[in-house]
Amino acid sequence: MSDNVKKRDILVIPGLGGMVLSGARPLLAILLAFTVSAIMIIAQGANPFEAYWAMLRGSFGSVAALANTCVRAAPLLLGGLGVAFGFKAGLLNVGVEGQIYVGGSAAAAVGLMPLPVPPWLHLILAIFAGFLGGAAWGLIPAYLKAYRGISEIVVTLMLNYVAIQFTSLLVHEPSPLAEQGAFFPQSPPILPSAQLPILIKGTSLHIGIIIGVVAALILYLLLQYTPFGMRTRMTGQNPEAARYAGINVRRQIVIVLLVSAGMGGLAGMGEVLGLKLRLYDYFSGGLGYDSIAVALIANSNIIGVVLSAFFFGALRAGAGKMETAVGIKTPIVQVIQALAVLFVIMIGFAEYTRAARKEKQQKQLEEVSVDGP
Amino acid sequence: MDLNSINEFLAAAIRMSAPLMIVGAGALFTERTGVFNIGLEGTMLVGCMAAVYFSLQTGNLWLATLGAMFVGGLFGLVHAFLTITRRADQIVAGAAINLFALGITNLLNGPLYAGYEYRPRVTLYPVIAPEALQNLPILGPILFAQPVIVYFAFIIPILATWILYRTTWGLAIRAVGDHPHAVATAGLSVYALKYIGVITSGVFAGLGGAALTLADLGLFAPGMTNGRGFAVLAAFVVGKWNPILVAAACILFGSADALQLRAQTIQLAIPYQVFVMLPYLLTIAALAGLVGRTVGPKTVGKPYDPESI
Repeated sequence: MSDNVKKRDILVIPGLGGMVLSGARPLLAILLAFTVSAIMIIAQGANPFEAYWAMLRGSFGSVAALANTCVRAAPLLLGGLGVAFGFKAGLLNVGVEGQIYVGGSAAAAVGLMPLPVPPWLHLILAIFAGFLGGAAWGLIPAYLKAYRGISEIVVTLMLNYVAIQFTSLLVHEPSPLAEQGAFFPQSPPILPSAQLPILIKGTSLHIGIIIGVVAALILYLLLQYTPFGMRTRMTGQNPEAARYAGINVRRQIVIVLLVSAGMGGLAGMGEVLGLKLRLYDYFSGGLGYDSIAVALIANSNIIGVVLSAFFFGALRAGAGKMETAVGIKTPIVQVIQALAVLFVIMIGFAEYTRAARKEKQQKQLEEVSVDGP
Repeated sequence: MDLNSINEFLAAAIRMSAPLMIVGAGALFTERTGVFNIGLEGTMLVGCMAAVYFSLQTGNLWLATLGAMFVGGLFGLVHAFLTITRRADQIVAGAAINLFALGITNLLNGPLYAGYEYRPRVTLYPVIAPEALQNLPILGPILFAQPVIVYFAFIIPILATWILYRTTWGLAIRAVGDHPHAVATAGLSVYALKYIGVITSGVFAGLGGAALTLADLGLFAPGMTNGRGFAVLAAFVVGKWNPILVAAACILFGSADALQLRAQTIQLAIPYQVFVMLPYLLTIAALAGLVGRTVGPKTVGKPYDPESI
């Protein structure tokens, strides 16, 4: 058994030999992504070292830069956690983008209402509205998956486009959330009592990142140390076996998908109550899809998601500085991110074949001993 | 609306359906070999940019079209490599391709038009309007005054259907998706057939991108496919993997698109967002079994492993 675990931690790269630690896989993928992107930067006539150095300064070089990194990381962390948590139960939630819109809209709806409650309660209600909005959006795929056996992937993907238009409807007149006579389709400003508190004055660093880190901690403990986490992991590894072990797989799927979608809702909540301070048309602009990348690079490891969200947050925060310093446009960040995911997928296979080959050998050995002469 | 503007709307609906129909016909091949390719959204987007790029470089409409198909094929090859050779999760690989396509097109959007003071519109597909067919009542002005690519959009699904259902090669393609091990036993290469299927889908996604840019826009804009690739996958669900029904679903979705554009300019009682939602809601309804049962190829989503039966 211990021998088996050790072997799985060795990463085999074709032509390069073995490499210890499964954590090396994402790091190697990121390194390869930076290398390929460097070629693109050279092709555009800039020095990649200068470009990356500017990026580093833009993401960690000052308090403002660090704050910016955290602001960018917050939605990726919350969304990435949603994807990773779903994955633990074998669910691929590609609908985070839609859950961001619905969660953000729900949070805005509560945040715009002058409720007769103390300000701290207003804030908590608005935050919860974000979670519940996202979770409500997850209800449809959860029901269809658990009780009708319909793949959650297509349903969550399709619901993204419905959610985007739903938010668009909300910010256009005559919706009650739309600002009267505004030039852009937008809501009025979120009431000050429902805005996420700012951590460092003079920056836009809101508490969204803290909500994300706390959520990561809760999800980690939940998955590792509770019966609920055990049931979730068993559902993901082998639903048939889980059923035989007496786990209510349907209930598990519904709960996990609702929590996963709720995390997407929280990501949208943070953007609306913490950063944009209004509800806008198309306010997410693909954060939900980036969250999938965040979870993939972390191999859906909860602690890994925290690291990879910070990494992508830093990339985004530094991209502006890089553009002004060497003239490479900010979308290079999207390219680096996508390449890292592609490389993770490519390298990932080595581990898989190794495990599969071992399994096959085992099987053949058993067969030989059974059919032996 | 008077008759003239109704005709105009229907002609626009057909024109906007054309890219979807082309992408859909190509996607038949990948779906039939059992590989789900959500990367078609990004592949189509890259096709849009490639079409404009090659048009600006060569000034030749047909070279631009071929260029878009070639680049689309390359993206199909990447998806094939990841999902077939590397046996990566098909959704994950497709999502990664979409992210890459979005990033690379956003990055190259500036350099694409470098050296131009304003964005020039490239040559469009010529409009073919046969004199004799022009005078057909109703159909004449709707169907027969269209850019040449629209005629192709109707021919390609028919051709694809014929290949899939009337040739032995098509039989093999269909069999791979349902019973890959039987195909292997018959002495055919499952890997080769799957590669052909996925690359074909990429080639036609590239052509669909060319149809989107070179039919009436003539320029590239970031993110311009805006979910059309996903809409094609939705059309498979609604059209139950039947090539003719898929093409019909593509026309339905294209019409919804034309309707929402129109609803943005003229005041309708129904907000335009509702029309944008419609195809996606219809797809979920179809999946939920409200519009009859939907059955796809048996092994879609699962990697082929020659050793496990």
